[in-house]
Amino acid sequence: MAVATETLHAPKDYKSDLKPVWCPGCGDYGVLSALYKAMSMCNLDPEKTVVVSGIGCSSRLPGFVQTYGFHGVHGRGLPVATGIKMARPDLNVVVVGGDGDGYSIGGGHLPHCARRNPDITYVVMNNNIYGLTKGQVSPTSMVPLASMNAKMDPKRWKTTPYGMTEESLNPIALAIAMDVSFVARGFSYRPNQLADIIAEGINHKGFALIDTFSPCPTFNQDQTDDFYKDHTYDIPEDHDPTDRIKAFALALETTNFPVGVIYRNDNKHSVLEEQAYLRDKYQGKVDMEQIFARNLSYTVAKE
Amino acid sequence: MSAGTATATTDVVIRLVGESGEGTVSLGDLLVKMFGSMGLDIYTFQTFPAEIKGGTVMYQIRAKSGTTLSFGDAVDVLVALNDEGFDLFGKGLREDGILLYNSDVFTPSPSPGRTDYALPITTLAKAEKEAIRHLITGEALKRLPPPVNIIGLGALLRLVSAPLEPAERYIHDLFDRKGDEIVRMNISALHSGAKFIEEEIGNKRTPHVSPMERDHDIITVTGNQMIAYGALAAGLKFYAGYPITPATEVMEFIAKDIPALGGEVVQAEDEIAAIGMVVGASYAGKKAMTASSGPGISLMVETINLAAQAEIPIVVVDVQRAGASTGMPTKTSQADLNLAIFGVHNESPRIVMAVASVEDCFWTMTHAFNLAEKYQCPVIVLSDQSLATRKSTIPPPDMSKVHLETRLLASPDERAGGFQRYKDTETGVSPMAIPGMAMGIYTSTGIEHDEHGDPGYTPELASKMKDKRFRKLAYLQKTEADHYLKIWGDEGKVDVGIIAFGSTEGVIREATQRAQADGIKVAHMHLRLLNPLPVNAINKFAARCDKILVPELNYTGQLANWLKINTEIKVIPFHKDEGIPFIPNDIYQMITSVMV
Repeated sequence: MAVATETLHAPKDYKSDLKPVWCPGCGDYGVLSALYKAMSMCNLDPEKTVVVSGIGCSSRLPGFVQTYGFHGVHGRGLPVATGIKMARPDLNVVVVGGDGDGYSIGGGHLPHCARRNPDITYVVMNNNIYGLTKGQVSPTSMVPLASMNAKMDPKRWKTTPYGMTEESLNPIALAIAMDVSFVARGFSYRPNQLADIIAEGINHKGFALIDTFSPCPTFNQDQTDDFYKDHTYDIPEDHDPTDRIKAFALALETTNFPVGVIYRNDNKHSVLEEQAYLRDKYQGKVDMEQIFARNLSYTVAKE
Repeated sequence: MSAGTATATTDVVIRLVGESGEGTVSLGDLLVKMFGSMGLDIYTFQTFPAEIKGGTVMYQIRAKSGTTLSFGDAVDVLVALNDEGFDLFGKGLREDGILLYNSDVFTPSPSPGRTDYALPITTLAKAEKEAIRHLITGEALKRLPPPVNIIGLGALLRLVSAPLEPAERYIHDLFDRKGDEIVRMNISALHSGAKFIEEEIGNKRTPHVSPMERDHDIITVTGNQMIAYGALAAGLKFYAGYPITPATEVMEFIAKDIPALGGEVVQAEDEIAAIGMVVGASYAGKKAMTASSGPGISLMVETINLAAQAEIPIVVVDVQRAGASTGMPTKTSQADLNLAIFGVHNESPRIVMAVASVEDCFWTMTHAFNLAEKYQCPVIVLSDQSLATRKSTIPPPDMSKVHLETRLLASPDERAGGFQRYKDTETGVSPMAIPGMAMGIYTSTGIEHDEHGDPGYTPELASKMKDKRFRKLAYLQKTEADHYLKIWGDEGKVDVGIIAFGSTEGVIREATQRAQADGIKVAHMHLRLLNPLPVNAINKFAARCDKILVPELNYTGQLANWLKINTEIKVIPFHKDEGIPFIPNDIYQMITSVMV
C-alpha cells in the first residue's frame, strides 16, 4: 500500500473542488465522507491512489475525490481497476459503483476478480434501484413477486408496471460463494462504522467487496434510511469472519441485515504475487534477438 | 529481401490434404522446415475445418528460389491422405500434375496426364512400429503412434530429390529425449518412405527442388507470431485477451516471452474485461494491447470508444475471419474494415492500420504502438486468418531499425497550478499525467469534459473538445499519413493502378509482375494506414493511373466505398468473399479484363 510518508492527510484533504451531483438526502454522501475518512485513516498518498468507477449516480464519485480517478463505462470498473493494479502494483486502487453497475451489467466480472484476488477495494453503493435512469428494478430490488404473495400489492416499478418478475440476488452470499477474500456490509447512515470497514478493506491484502446500503430517497420509498435503521444490526464482536460456514449463515439473514465484516480469507493467492513471481523468475532471460533465433530455419555458415 | 542464388530454379506448389487432427498439418510443418533449411523461400496457406478433430484440412506450400509472393495458382504436387480431401481439394491440381496418395485408404479414379504415386503410408508406418515392438513395453508401446508423418516426409523429400540429412538431424532434435529406439524408428521410417518412392519412380515425372544459397539468416514464422514479436519489440508490457479463432496464437506467443521482457498477460473472462484491463493498464502508464477477431471486437467497441474519448493509447488487433455472426471462424476475410473504422456509437477518433505480409506484421505493429502513444488514441490493426497462419521465410528483423515513441508526458511546470489533462493544443495532443506523478491528479473520463477533465455539457465545450480530439487525426493525416503505404510496379503513367490493403499485398504484386511481363503498365499502392487515409498520396497515385482497381476480400467493397467517401477518384471495385484468399490469377484476370 502506497501511504504518504511525510504528512498525515485529514479527510478533507481527499475532497476535490467538484461538488457532488447527487440528490439531497442521497446515501452516497455518507459513503463519500466515509471514504474520505477511511483514506485518511490509511494515510493513502493521494497521488498514488486511483478511484475507479463505472456508470451510475454513485459512479460519479471519482471526480469528488482528490486522487487520480477513472470514470469508465457501465459495469466495467473491476476490469479497468484490475488492469491498473496489475500494471502498477504500487498504486492504491479503490473501485466504486452501484448495484446495477456491479451486480447486473458488470456481475460477470465478480467471480473472476475473486479468482484473481488483486489488492483492490470495491465499495458498492447499493440502493436497490436504478437511480440515474429514474427508478427501475435493480438486481437487489427487494420486492415479493406478484404471483408469490397474492395478498401483497406487487411493487410496480417503471419497467415492471405489473410487478417485478424476478427475485433479488444476495450479493453477500454470492461473494462468499465466489471466495471474495474480504466481504463486508456497510450502511451509509453510519459513516464512522463504514469508514472503519472501508479502511479494513483497504488494509486487506486482496480483493475486498463492501456492499453498502445507500438509500435513494428520490426513487425508492421502501428501502429508506429508516427501513435500514430498523432492519440492520451490528455483527457481534465474537463473529469469526474466517469461518466460511458462519459467514454464510450471516449472509442468508435477509430480514434483519448484519452490518460489519462478514467473511475473510487471508490465505488466498493473488494474481499480483503470481505475476511478480513470473517476472522474478524470467525477466531478462531472453531478448528479441534470441526470440528470433529460436525460429531460425536457415543459417549462413559463419567464417 | 534479397533473393540469393540458386543452383537451379525451383518453384513448386505442394498441397497436402487429409483428416484434421491426423497429422496433415504436422507433415506440412515438417516439409516447410526442410525446405526452409534448404534456403528456399516459403509461402504457405492453410485452411481448416472448425472442428478440433474431423473434417478436411488443406495445407499448401510454395517453395521457390527467389521471392515467393503467393501460394501460387495451380498445384504441382497433391498429397492426398484421404479420399474426402482428394474430392474437396483435388481440383486445384494441374492437369499434368503429380498425385501422391495414401493407397491404404483409397484409390483415385485415373486421369490422363496426371502422374500417380501410390504410397501405403499406414502399412509402412505400422511396419516401423512393429519392428521395435520387442524393445519397448506396455503403456509406452500403446501410446506410440506409428510414424505416419515421417514416412510421408521421406517419400516427399525423395520425390523432389531433396537430401534426407537435414530431416535426420531434425528427427534427432525432435526425438533424442525420447530414447534411442524412437530415434531409430523414425530414421528408419524416413528411409522407408524414401525407398518406397524411389522404387515407384521408374520413368515417372518428378518435381524438382534445389537448395538455394542465401547471404543472410532466415527465420520461418507466421503472421500471428510476427504480430506478437512486433508488439514485444515495441515495448508491450501488458496484454489481456480472450481466446478466439484465429487470433488466439497472438496471445500464446506473447504469453511465452513477455515475462522475460518485464510484462504480463491475463486471460480475461471475456473480451469486454480484456479491453477494460488494457485501458486500465495504459492509463496507469504501460503499453498495452489485446487481439481478437470479429465477434470479440464487436464486444470491445464500447470500451474502444472510451479509450478514444478519455484519450488513452491502446492497440487492438483484429485477426479477421469470414462470415457474419459465427460465420466461418477458420476461413479468411477482409470484411471488418467498416467495423474498424466505423465501429463506434456517435463519433470518436481512432487510427486504423492493416498488416500486409508476415514481415510487415512486425513493422506495422511497432508503428501501431508509436501512433497510439503519439496521438493518445486507440489503434486498430487489421490482419486476417490467411496471414495469421501463413508461414513465411524472412530475415530476422533488424532491432537497430526499430524506432519507438512514447506518449507526451506533462512536465512539472505543466502540472503545477491546476493541471489540464485535456489541454486544447495545436495538434490536439495534450500532455498526459500518469498516476503517481506529483500534482498530476485528474479524473480520466468518457463523459464530456473540459480541459481539466471535469464534466461539462455546454454547446461550446462539446464542440471545442470534440474538435480537439479529432484534430489529432487531421494532424496525423497532414504530417505523416503518406509514410504508411508502399507503392510497387511501374513509375509514371500506367494503364492500371491497384489500391488495396492487408494480406493481399504479395498476391497482387505477383499478378502485377505477370501483367507487366505481358507489356501492361501497372502500379500498385498498398495501404498500411486506413484511417485517416493518406489522401494526398492516393490522389497523386490516382492521377497517373488510367484505371484504378480495388480488389478486396469482402462482399460490399468496403475499401472502395471508403475511398469514395474520402476522395474524388473513380475506382473499379473487385470483391470476392468466399472464405479463401485471392490467387494471382484472380488479380491478373481482373487487370487484363479492364484493358479491353
